[in-house]
Amino acid sequence: MTVSDEILVDVKDVKVHFPIKRGVIFDKTIGHVYAVDGVDLQIRKGETYGLVGESGCGKSTLGRAILNLEPPTSGSVEFDGIDIAALKGEELRHKRQDIQMVFQDPMGSLDPRQTVESLLLEGMKAHGLTKDEKQAATRLRDLLKAVGLPVAALKKYPHEFSGGQRQRIGIARALSVNPKLIVADEPVSALDVSVQAQVINLLEELQDEFGLTYLVVAHDLAVVRHISDRIGVMYLGAIAEEADAEDLYTKPLHPYTRALMSAVPVPDPLIEDRRERILLQGDLPSPANPPTGCRFHTRCPWRQDTKCDTERPQLRTLQIAGVPDSHRVACHWAEQIESGEVAMHTVKASLTSQTDHTSGGDDFLGPASVQEAL
Amino acid sequence: MTETIENTRTRGHSEEPLLSVRDLTVTFTRQGEKPFVAVDGVSFDVRPGQTVGLVGESGCGKSVTSLAIMGLLPQRGVRVEGEVLYGGTNLLTQSKEQMRDRRGRDLGMIFQDPLSSLNPVVPIGVQVTEVLERHKGLSRKAATPLAREMLDKVGIPDPNRRLKDYPHQLSGGMRQRALIAMALACAPKVLIADEPTTALDVTIQAQILALLKELVEDSGTALVMITHDLGVVAGLVDRINVLYAGRIVERGDRHPLFAQPRHPYTHGLLSSIPRLDGERGTKLTPIPGSVSDNLPWANACAFAPRCSQPIDVCVEKTPEFVEDGPRALRCHNPVEVSR
Ligand SMILES: Nc1ncnc2c1ncn2[C@@H]1O[C@H](COP(=O)(O)OP(=O)(O)OP(=O)(O)O)[C@@H](O)[C@H]1O
Ligand SMILES: Nc1ncnc2c1ncn2[C@@H]1O[C@H](COP(=O)(O)OP(=O)(O)OP(=O)(O)O)[C@@H](O)[C@H]1O
Ligand code: SF4
Ligand code: SF4
Ligand SMILES: [Mg+2]
Ligand SMILES: [Mg+2]
Repeated sequence: MTVSDEILVDVKDVKVHFPIKRGVIFDKTIGHVYAVDGVDLQIRKGETYGLVGESGCGKSTLGRAILNLEPPTSGSVEFDGIDIAALKGEELRHKRQDIQMVFQDPMGSLDPRQTVESLLLEGMKAHGLTKDEKQAATRLRDLLKAVGLPVAALKKYPHEFSGGQRQRIGIARALSVNPKLIVADEPVSALDVSVQAQVINLLEELQDEFGLTYLVVAHDLAVVRHISDRIGVMYLGAIAEEADAEDLYTKPLHPYTRALMSAVPVPDPLIEDRRERILLQGDLPSPANPPTGCRFHTRCPWRQDTKCDTERPQLRTLQIAGVPDSHRVACHWAEQIESGEVAMHTVKASLTSQTDHTSGGDDFLGPASVQEAL
Repeated sequence: MTETIENTRTRGHSEEPLLSVRDLTVTFTRQGEKPFVAVDGVSFDVRPGQTVGLVGESGCGKSVTSLAIMGLLPQRGVRVEGEVLYGGTNLLTQSKEQMRDRRGRDLGMIFQDPLSSLNPVVPIGVQVTEVLERHKGLSRKAATPLAREMLDKVGIPDPNRRLKDYPHQLSGGMRQRALIAMALACAPKVLIADEPTTALDVTIQAQILALLKELVEDSGTALVMITHDLGVVAGLVDRINVLYAGRIVERGDRHPLFAQPRHPYTHGLLSSIPRLDGERGTKLTPIPGSVSDNLPWANACAFAPRCSQPIDVCVEKTPEFVEDGPRALRCHNPVEVSR
């Protein structure tokens, strides 16, 4: 698939804050979950943009905000140059057709009482894509063929299929209305390992065949690296690093990306035996109470005494030889870390509790070793 | 590097097995339903200090195997056959009470979902002390400092305060640490970990795996690591057993197994997983069909419908499990050894 320079999706400073409410009689807002807190990104026509990060970092919320399923608290999303939030009625319906979603849990997203035929026809009818029965029948066949299911599947119900087949149905449904963009939220993570590759290959083939643009949201960096042209690494509601897939892999520049990459296991003992792991201490802070300054400073092994806990770093291009402008990093010290001027050190872990957000702050230098007792 | 690997391997061979699972077969016999064989003649040994992996996809019988070893399968509607030998005793013939005594003392276990295996209404400190009270006959007072020490060892910061916390007050990673503390409190000889990191984020998984590795190395505890993730076992275990549809289809020490997978299923899995360090732009080679497309093992190879190189005999005869030292294989037409 050739990626053009034309921008299809333009996300500008999008924030999605969920109110936290308490109280029996009065719904009092006592705080916010800063699920997405200032994200800029562009997706070009024909490319696959991968959004990766750990649980709760805001990937799905951002994906939903792009579809306007979750109206942003602030900021804007332009699709083909048009602000989606400003659209109404017929126009909105028409644009909705251009953006489709594929979900993680294929069973949960397919109505169990509808046959595959009726599931596929639903969207086509709603968007006036079924002129007559003969044309509809041809289109259904084409769709099934495209996703590699037999025609006999039409008369069956979702529970009669395996997980991988259901995901194919989900993809066929998204394709049925001729979308330009498909937002796929964890499209393979609920599938068996041996079946994931089938769906990954299918997504790639369909992109070539129909000139689709993808936003793939996933927690698995190996999957994301495999299918994406560009990757955005999210941490606590913001993008920490963004680069072409190859640049990100060969030269990760943000401390969080480095740690994330070093944590992903590789099914190869020769590599595992030689790997240096950057073990992060502590847990992910709560997005309801994000750390000040750089959100990663509570766990960052390169944290410095100045700037890190007071100033929020912006995503920026770096003045490092060989690093292209398309590679952007939100870290105050990225240049110094890369040159070795700023070295890695041990982190004082603070404890994030599920119910309170005060930190323990013990000196905790990695897992304690076990000498006696055991 | 390679030296330490050789060491663990020879260490694994030199001693008598600590735990020996022989022809373990578990059949679910629900009334009005066809009997279902979830685990079908599984045999493997665990030697002191060895780490053994059981790898396979959803439904292949990993958890049922571990529950059978621990004596935790329901009493009704299940038939358990074969032997689980521990120090010369067949655990399958032990009484409920005898097994309760052994759990925690001889055999420790960590489950996939830490929340469901911790008591939600009891502070974690009490849960760890109870293990020590039960198995070591200590008083609550004497056990508490040991429990604190244990929480500290598994890397729970501020253990004094955490002793009083309830499971829901801890994050997923911290809960899993608490569970490891409970499982290791009485220094069991064997620890069975069933998908201990599957519910966790990858950076937390790396912490927990490093912790487990350090704990078993330092204490000499043997580890049975159960997972669907070949990446997780690649750096951790000495010997790997690959399961498919209730049977072990291939076994080998980790280096030769990953370098030369001989079973078409193992081989297929390794070529279908996208690797972080993989060549970009190369297509993955998927295994066709799905996990449920199995033939019965009687008179066939269960993997035949999905296999890339079946031959006629594959749907006529059950492939035997042929052992050759640490390597073993159940296949009529194995993948050629390439040089
Ligand atoms: N409707 C909502 N109301 C309140 N909080 C929400 C809502 N949806 C999401 N959140 C919170 O926003 C944060 C980001 O959630 P999101 O689902 O986007 O994360 P994610 O990166 O997709 O995580 P995962 O990998 O677990 O799917 C989380 O803390 C989540 O609890
Ligand atoms: N109590 C039960 N009654 C009937 N069948 C069961 C029972 N427990 C498990 N099974 C079946 O036995 C088979 C093996 O299950 P098991 O839980 O061991 O799989 P697993 O390998 O651990 O899979 P996963 O990766 O999904 O945890 C499955 O087909 C399952 O449906
Ligand atoms: S800004 Fe500071 S704390 Fe944040 S990633 Fe960079 S070095 Fe670490
Ligand atoms: S026995 Fe036959 S069908 Fe089974 S894995 Fe070997 S070659 Fe394939
Ligand atoms: Mg999500
Ligand atoms: Mg299981």
